[in-house]
Amino acid sequence: MKNRLLAIIACCLFAAGAAQAGNPEAGKEKSRTCAACHGPEGNSATGDFPRLAGQHYDYLVKTMRDYKVGKRKNAIMAPQVANLSQRDMEDLAAYFSHQQGLVTRKNSYFVH
Amino acid sequence: MADMKTSIFPGSVRAALVAGLVAGLVTGLESGAASPVAAQGQPSAEAGRIKSSMCAGCHNIPGYKTAFPSVYSVPKLDGQHATYIISALRAYKSGERQHPSMRAIAASLTDQDMADLAAFYSSSPAKSASR
Repeated sequence: MKNRLLAIIACCLFAAGAAQAGNPEAGKEKSRTCAACHGPEGNSATGDFPRLAGQHYDYLVKTMRDYKVGKRKNAIMAPQVANLSQRDMEDLAAYFSHQQGLVTRKNSYFVH
Repeated sequence: MADMKTSIFPGSVRAALVAGLVAGLVTGLESGAASPVAAQGQPSAEAGRIKSSMCAGCHNIPGYKTAFPSVYSVPKLDGQHATYIISALRAYKSGERQHPSMRAIAASLTDQDMADLAAFYSSSPAKSASR
């Protein structure tokens, strides 16, 4: 329980410190490999590959880290992220999160 | 909510559970009454809109972050490909993809639910809408 609490606190500190460190310009350069599947600017052409454009920066970093450490498993993504540094992931996330694509639509079902 | 102080769940999980329960009730009622579900087997964005009440508490609040199991922004779904949403939900349901809240929610979904939700979320105009 104590360890779990410490882990949660550590996660909070990490998240607070991870506020958009990446460089979108550098990320653009590094994103060429990604474009083959995820499309130009992260707007993929088919549902076989998720749209990344406009996705949250911290979610993108987390996803790449999860692939890298094997927490999330995917035969295509694992080798792609294997050689990415933390800096690379932050730059890529900065680039994709700055593109126009995904949105958060307020659900009118709840709004009256 | 009277049990707020005694709950063992962190806020976001509790919210997700409550949302899930409410959604279950709502969808249960909807499917019993005259619902906007189209012909069986046909994905319906309108049915998905109603079923999305169980998703909206996290995924349709701009800037919302999870607090459990770690803190990060809940991914945006509006404008995502339908096929990808279905494959993600199936992976959560099977346990191939791991997230406690998503596993629980996806486990409750039928293939029809997933198709309807995917139709709803993919119906959002990506790119043209503002972030």
